[in-house]
Amino acid sequence: MAALKENAAVSAAAVEALVDRFGEPQWLADERRAALRTYAATPFPTNRDEVWRYTQLERFAIDGLDLVEGPRDDAVVDRVAMRIADSDAEAALVIKNGEVVRRAGHVGQGGVVFTDLRTAVRDHEALVREHLYSVVNATMSKAAALDAALWTNGTFLYVPRDVEVALPLGTFTTADRGGLSAGRTLIVVDVNARVTFLDEYTSEPIGERLAHHAATEIVLKDGAKLRYVSLQNWSRDAMQQNKIRARLGRDARLESLTVSLGGDAARAEVEVRLEGPGAESEMLGLYFADEGQHFNQYTVQHHATDHGLSDLLFKGALRDASTAVYSGVIVVDPGAQKTDAYQTNRNLLLDGESEVVSIPQLEIGANDVKCSHGSTSGPVPEDQRFYLMSRGLRPEVAEHVLVTGFLYEVTSRVTLPKVSQYVERVVQAKLGVPGVKEKL
Amino acid sequence: MADSMPQDAHPDAAKLEGMAHTDQYGFHLSENYAFRSEKGLSRRVVEQISYHKNEPAWMLQFRLRALEIAEKKGRPKWGPDLSHLNFDEIYFYIRPQDKKGTNSWDDVPEEVRETYRRLGIPEAEQKMLAGVGAQYESEMVYHNLKEVWERKGVIFLDSDTGLQQHPELFKEHFATVIPPEDNYFAAVNSAVWSGGSFVYVPAGVEIDVPLQAYFLINAQSMGQFERTLIIAEPGSKFHYIEGCTAPTYNSDSFHSGVIEIIVKERANVRYSTIQNWSHNVYNLVTQRAIVHRRASMGWLDGNLGSKVTMKYPSTYLVGEGAHGEVLSIAFATDGQHQDAGAKVIHAAPNTTSSVVSKSISKGTGRSSYRGLVQIHDGATNARSNVECDALLLDDKAKTDTYPYIEINEKTAHVGHEATVSKLNDEQIFYLQSRGLPADAAMALIVRGFLDPVAKELPLEYAVELNRLIELEMEGSVG
Repeated sequence: MAALKENAAVSAAAVEALVDRFGEPQWLADERRAALRTYAATPFPTNRDEVWRYTQLERFAIDGLDLVEGPRDDAVVDRVAMRIADSDAEAALVIKNGEVVRRAGHVGQGGVVFTDLRTAVRDHEALVREHLYSVVNATMSKAAALDAALWTNGTFLYVPRDVEVALPLGTFTTADRGGLSAGRTLIVVDVNARVTFLDEYTSEPIGERLAHHAATEIVLKDGAKLRYVSLQNWSRDAMQQNKIRARLGRDARLESLTVSLGGDAARAEVEVRLEGPGAESEMLGLYFADEGQHFNQYTVQHHATDHGLSDLLFKGALRDASTAVYSGVIVVDPGAQKTDAYQTNRNLLLDGESEVVSIPQLEIGANDVKCSHGSTSGPVPEDQRFYLMSRGLRPEVAEHVLVTGFLYEVTSRVTLPKVSQYVERVVQAKLGVPGVKEKL
Repeated sequence: MADSMPQDAHPDAAKLEGMAHTDQYGFHLSENYAFRSEKGLSRRVVEQISYHKNEPAWMLQFRLRALEIAEKKGRPKWGPDLSHLNFDEIYFYIRPQDKKGTNSWDDVPEEVRETYRRLGIPEAEQKMLAGVGAQYESEMVYHNLKEVWERKGVIFLDSDTGLQQHPELFKEHFATVIPPEDNYFAAVNSAVWSGGSFVYVPAGVEIDVPLQAYFLINAQSMGQFERTLIIAEPGSKFHYIEGCTAPTYNSDSFHSGVIEIIVKERANVRYSTIQNWSHNVYNLVTQRAIVHRRASMGWLDGNLGSKVTMKYPSTYLVGEGAHGEVLSIAFATDGQHQDAGAKVIHAAPNTTSSVVSKSISKGTGRSSYRGLVQIHDGATNARSNVECDALLLDDKAKTDTYPYIEINEKTAHVGHEATVSKLNDEQIFYLQSRGLPADAAMALIVRGFLDPVAKELPLEYAVELNRLIELEMEGSVG
């Protein structure tokens, strides 16, 4: 397999240009420069690296792409506008190729900061400085280093102590230009605060290749609660690498959903680190690959202390010679007693050309724990299909019903009905269910 | 039969059970060798081995090529810590002075028999064990093949003799299942192999009594590189058992075997092994079976001893309807890392496989399950199920599970499940309320945990296993 090649555009000059263009403070400029040095010192992953072993590396190539300078225009296409309207978001941002092209609604509760990251660096510098790079930093991977050095914009969300934000907030990241881009999300939920946040990636066909890098940092302080959705539905000329990482304090709770539907190739790395006793993390994931798409899902449930709970369910379906990798690990540190950790991955293979790899792993260093994992892969059960056909359903309709039912185990656990409905709709559109288009 | 022997027939049994587990094998017998190679791995050592064995030229060429491959490959970068394994301190070949071809129990060296006794194998049972081939040091020194098998055309020899007496048969199958290119330790073994079993069972022959071979190592810093080649002709059926134990030494020992098994059409082979190397041995073994049409291969892999074990019995289901089964048990106590598992490759339609792994970690022990299930395109209706259960006895014990599942076939049904748990306090409390001391209660629960695997063992092994668990659990109440 071809080795990944460097991109000359990823350079010190590019970092200085960003610092100048955004008028960034010294500390941030220094962080970017350090990240670039780390990037330069880090080799590209190869198939000999365990967590890249099954990845079709060339589909994540970045060489030859220019850095995205900004969008062609600031129009918000219908596809995105409808998503905002359909998401029940109280407030929303649309970020197109790094530029904010719309700010919709506003957050009613006092003290909540919800804005783009560039603005936040200017208006809430102390808060950003305290938390930026504290969860995802350049040392974690080549892609994370690229993002840390060259992110152009993203989301900053801060919810102060004891504040509950009732309705969801959301950022819609989109593009009308290809190239190499990097965005970043930083969410800080303070003690006993609550919020729901949607991170969506979507676009109309771009016409040129987009290689988008995302880094998502989540800080949940003691007792904080976050529902977080990362929904990737790029057009097929895009690839995305997203590193989502969360640190949970005492009794904090994270309910996350990671969805991969679009793009040519997408890699989501989702890691939670339970740092305070009693922290809980529910991790849902859903992917549906068709027409040769290539999806990677890598998860880590890291129990660094006692009395934590993590429960993961990732389900995926594949067809049309697509490929998917699910690899996840539960790590229970020595001393993390009374841990409950569960991990389930299930895959549905809808044709013989598709290929799935499932690697559910455990690394358990404490004994008073309950841990289990399970993985299954197989076709649509023949007896179920037969039953539905005996009730008069055509074979393809029976398959639609069974695939939807298979994924329903995930969508039904999402406590945001609008999100579930949208995901189901995209799945049905991919299945070719008559009369269903992705955007209604 | 061995099954009916009273378990207390062994005179040292009481003494043995009274020993703390750390002292269990804290003895070793004097060294007594005719020839041993210089320490370390080199072209010269490989040539010496081949010369001493008076091998055909092709085997020397094979060994030298394997040495080159090993040098090119380098050690694996994954898995347990092997940094303390220093080849320069290891003798890669030692030949015992005992003569070859002894065929009665009385000719077996006293040292070997002494070791058997200390292990708690009842004396009467030792003599009853049918078809024992005991490997002492790097060469088979004892063979007792039942005449009835010989008449059926069964060959059960040590591999060196097998090569001498059946050169064509040996050459035809040797290294066809595990070529030296396969992995680093297989390459090392290919360069310096010595001893092991050569088994050939003709078409249609069924053997009721298991074929058994005991392996021992008994010299400081001595590696043992047995090479076993088992050929099951169509329709044959038999059970091969290998067990090994070793006294404790000061410096690290190294054992790296290669086991190749060819299971032809409709043949049925079981390969059982329980290793209980002393806690300073690096046990890095490659074992693999090629299973043809409608044939069946079963592995029983027990890992109790050694410092580090890396062993993943693999089954290549290459013929339609082939079946593979792996039962694996691992017991890791202080300082041990049992990195065991199973690989199953489904490369033909209607193939089925099942893997059951049970592991126990105690003290600072660490047990890992590392497995692979691969379903190739066109292996329609393949079915595979993997279950791993881990029991953690102490708060410092560790366990890992790394199952790889690769599926390239729509009609495949593949499942994997794993659980990790600790000893159930309620169950212990209940047993104590019925009058059992705490450690006996724990031992009982552990035996119950292992029961699904233990009951598949021949009785004498199951008894030995239970005795070992009791010894391990003594004084473990914390």
